[in-house]
This record gives sequence, C-alpha cells and structure tokens, in this order.
Amino acid sequence: MTDAFRNALRIGGLVAVVLAFVTVVEYVFAVNVDSDQVRFVGLALAAIAKSWLIVYFFMHVYRVWRAEAH
Amino acid sequence: MALAGTAAHAPEHVVHDKAKMKLVGLWLFFFSESVLFGLLLSARFYLERINREEVDQLLGLGITCVLLLSSVTAFTAETAIEHDRRKLAGWMLVVTILLGTGFACGVGFEWGTAHFSKEQAFGSIFFTMTGIHAAHVISGIGLLVLTWFQLARGRFSGKDHWPVSGTVMYWHFVDVVWVFFYPALYLVK
Repeated sequence: MTDAFRNALRIGGLVAVVLAFVTVVEYVFAVNVDSDQVRFVGLALAAIAKSWLIVYFFMHVYRVWRAEAH
Repeated sequence: MALAGTAAHAPEHVVHDKAKMKLVGLWLFFFSESVLFGLLLSARFYLERINREEVDQLLGLGITCVLLLSSVTAFTAETAIEHDRRKLAGWMLVVTILLGTGFACGVGFEWGTAHFSKEQAFGSIFFTMTGIHAAHVISGIGLLVLTWFQLARGRFSGKDHWPVSGTVMYWHFVDVVWVFFYPALYLVK
C-alpha cells in the first residue's frame, strides 16, 4: 500500500468519524433544545459544516479551479 | 477510426482541457439540481408554522447514518481506483450499492408507516421532498451498478477512471442534499 493511498484513506476515515460525531450531536441537540430559533440556527450550522466536509474532502471541489499542469 | 486516431494523438493539454470540461460540466449540473432542492427546502420553511407531524426519529437517524456511511465507501472506491486497486474499488462499490438500497428501503418503510397523509400540508411536502430525493438515490444506485459492471469487465484503471469519479461525485451530491433534508424534515419543529 503506497503512502499516498494510505493518506487518502486516513483522511476519508477521519472525515467519516467527524460526520458521525456531528450527526449524533445534531440529533441530541435537536431533541433537547426547547427554543425553536436556537434549534434552527444550531441545525443549520451543523448541516453547513457536514456539507462542506463532503463537498471538500469527498467531492474534491478544489479540483475545479486547480490549475492543470501542462 | 479517423476520430479515434485523432484523440489518441491529441496533445496532452487538449486531454487535460477535456477532463476539466467534464468536471466543470458535472458541477454545473449539481448547481442546477441545487436550485430544485433549494426550492423544495424553501417550500418546507414557507410551511414552517404548520405543525410537524410525528415522524420516526430513530428511523430518520438510522437512514441518515446509512447514507453517510455509503459516502465513505464510495470515497474509498474512488480512491482505490485512482491507485489502481481495482478489486477494492469493486467491493466498495458493491457495499455502496447495498447501503444505498438500505436507505431507499428505509424511506419506503417510512412512507408505508407514516401517520399522516399527502393531503395534509406537512405530508405533502414530506412526500415530495423524500420522493424526489429517493428518485435521485435510485438513479444513483443504477449508475453505481453500471459502473460496477464496467469495472468488473476491466474497463477502468488508475489513469482512466472518470466514470467512477463522476458517479461517486453524484452519489456524494445526493448525500449532501440529505444533509439538509434530514434536519428540515425530522428535527426542525
């Protein structure tokens, strides 16, 4: 197994752990917070954070504007 | 034949430009899809003041975890084919297909056991949002199956794996949509 492959898998595993953690925190937060406004803001922040993790690390959005080496 | 010959001898920068065009095209497609899903989300919040009907919270959390896990296996499949690990890529695609099928079955179960109808305001938006999203999940499963068949026939390699990357990116996009739909339908009151 090459170092690059191992590093890529390690990053994927790390992102997976963070996504799982945020999802559980999001659920516990939503169930226990009474204020509608606070709940909405908290859930919106969690959704934005999770989507950014997926878009950046899994979908590699940076490749769109990365200069190609000719 | 003449066209194939031309492509085979195309300058390297032309090949790079074509790859970049495919990538940009896919992201433009995601953008147009985001408009559709954004409109559905705005409809959900326009109906914010209606009472949210009782939904199965544990089922919602469960299918969310299944879909997130499928994104991880899809990522592993893409990473594996980028590094010429075809066998691992094939297995990860199979696991992704199974997890996606599990998610679709979970949504179907929720539909079958829901205590509200499509005539109610919440039911109307719930079935529309989950239905359109599930249609994307099912089309994603179809693409993953096609990709797996091509991989099994020896089609892809570390240098030629765009169809795998494109399909996996589509799968991640479907996952991102659910990241917003799940709290909007299950957690926001």
